Amino acid sequence: MTEEIIEAIERYGLSKRSRNRTLFSRIGVVGCGKEGSVIATTAALKGIEVVFFEPCESSINNAYSRIEEKLDKKIEHWGLTQNEKRATLSKIQGTSDYQNFAGCDFVIEAIRYDNKNGERSVDQRKEVFKKLESVLSDKAIIASNVSTVVVTELASELEHQERCIGLHFMSNTPDSNIIEIVRGLNTSDYTFDKVCQFAKAISHDFVPVMESSGLISVRLFLIQLNEACGILLEGIASVEDIDKVMTVGFGHRQGVFRTADQMGIEKVVKLLENLYDEYGNIKYKPAPVLLRLFRARHFGVSTSKGFYSYDEQGNIVK
Amino acid sequence: MLIDEEVISMIEECIDMAPLHNPPNLAGIRAINELLPEVPQVAVFDTAFHQTMPDFAYMYAIPYSLYKKYGIRRYGFHGTSHRYVSKRACDFLGLDYSKTKLITAHIGNGGSVCAVENGKSVDTSMGFTPIEGLMMGTRSGDVDLGVVTYLMEKEMIGSAAISTLFNKHSGVIGVSGISSDMREIDKAISEGNERAALALKMYEYRIKKYIGSYMAALNGADVIVFTGGVGENQTGTRQRVCESLAFMGVKIDNELNASSRGKEVLLSLPNSAVKIVVIPTDEEFMIASDTLEIINGK
Repeated sequence: MTEEIIEAIERYGLSKRSRNRTLFSRIGVVGCGKEGSVIATTAALKGIEVVFFEPCESSINNAYSRIEEKLDKKIEHWGLTQNEKRATLSKIQGTSDYQNFAGCDFVIEAIRYDNKNGERSVDQRKEVFKKLESVLSDKAIIASNVSTVVVTELASELEHQERCIGLHFMSNTPDSNIIEIVRGLNTSDYTFDKVCQFAKAISHDFVPVMESSGLISVRLFLIQLNEACGILLEGIASVEDIDKVMTVGFGHRQGVFRTADQMGIEKVVKLLENLYDEYGNIKYKPAPVLLRLFRARHFGVSTSKGFYSYDEQGNIVK
Repeated sequence: MLIDEEVISMIEECIDMAPLHNPPNLAGIRAINELLPEVPQVAVFDTAFHQTMPDFAYMYAIPYSLYKKYGIRRYGFHGTSHRYVSKRACDFLGLDYSKTKLITAHIGNGGSVCAVENGKSVDTSMGFTPIEGLMMGTRSGDVDLGVVTYLMEKEMIGSAAISTLFNKHSGVIGVSGISSDMREIDKAISEGNERAALALKMYEYRIKKYIGSYMAALNGADVIVFTGGVGENQTGTRQRVCESLAFMGVKIDNELNASSRGKEVLLSLPNSAVKIVVIPTDEEFMIASDTLEIINGK
């Protein structure tokens, strides 16, 4: 007769407690606004557990609906099933307590832009970094979703500055699977390599970028937008036709004006001012057309009016 | 195949071809690698049995250079199951496997039909990916390529979404709008749901067409084998498919069929030109015995 061998499975680490955790099995996102929710959704769709921070229950609920909206849009465009949506949502947990980031090996700060002036306060973000350092292990990576602010400055008051790094997700173009990875002055090779692995884990391409205001994407886009505003102001062509040349002629997914409306004119103006402060070159001064829209609070999709007019779903009204 | 880094990267490269299957398999391999690094792992490829298909059956009529460049051809799937049930059917019926022509219908949530001649697969309904052929639970099966490009343009979607559309939103669930589970479809039909009835008719019609075409491919067959979740348990589907093949002498014992679920059974009447059997598949057994052979270095 064959002898039956019964071995406890726990010794092989299959019980939840002793299971070896793989890298990036759980990540954190501070701030689940427009950009934070893109990051949270992207990671959860790849099976990564995500904890996001919002200061109160109502903002947590808003964030959940924002995420759900994104997933529903994917279903509507045949890219996801209801079951996959449920599975993705079950990976995402909202919190108002930094302690819940304990155990995350990677946390991304993505606090929102101020609705009124388009700013993201550097002091506030430094504070987030400090709070994160107090709950995370020494090896955990702290990243910031940066475009014009330098990550070295955000990390300057931390004990372990080598674990800080900048990331830039291009959340304004749907499904643009590329990240700019920004090394600060003190970022270690370990941190950089791990973040590259994270990009791969969420099926994103990445480019390393030296720490600089505007990186590649924002700097190039804003200059293009400023010039497009010049063409518009000189009466050379209409908003629609300028966008058409860029989309049809150059194969851009959407034109510069449409992109600016999606980003928010208030942010665009602030980003240009940041670049102007940093580089001092007149080409970064926000074009008069942009300032006019900004002062009229025509911020784009968010206010239903910018270069184009929009309905409630964010579609252009002709 | 004994799994090593090379095999893992090979499976990774094939994710595009089998998006529903390869990622979870890889996750399993990686988990075992982490938990039991000393234990050898074996991959049994579901395409292996179909490697005997002749070139005129596995080639697509597209530029030959693309076959050379990307290996685009029909590979077939469910090979482990088709191999097991075809062999087992012969043992069960006392026939010589090396001299028998069988049509095996593995039908369930995923489904394929295979033509087996003298122990070798000579054609099968799945192709380059597991989407070709029969209508399935969530997969469309055969579809005019014109529909694919037309939809991509009209719905403004890319390759990932169109793949999800045909792999996960189509088939029985896509047509019925209810479920990919045949038991729920049966329930909906009994409640008078027309789309569920349509989905079932389409599902069965496609099986009949494939069996018919393989009957031609084999110049006649000795045995039709039903297996898989639906093949083993859905007595109604078996009955309707077989009755619709009566023109070529297929005769099913309806009474026996109605009472047979999930067990090996000969369902054809003695005067049937083709024997009809149900053989519950046992892919695990095949995989285990293949694994043993590989580990023993045979």
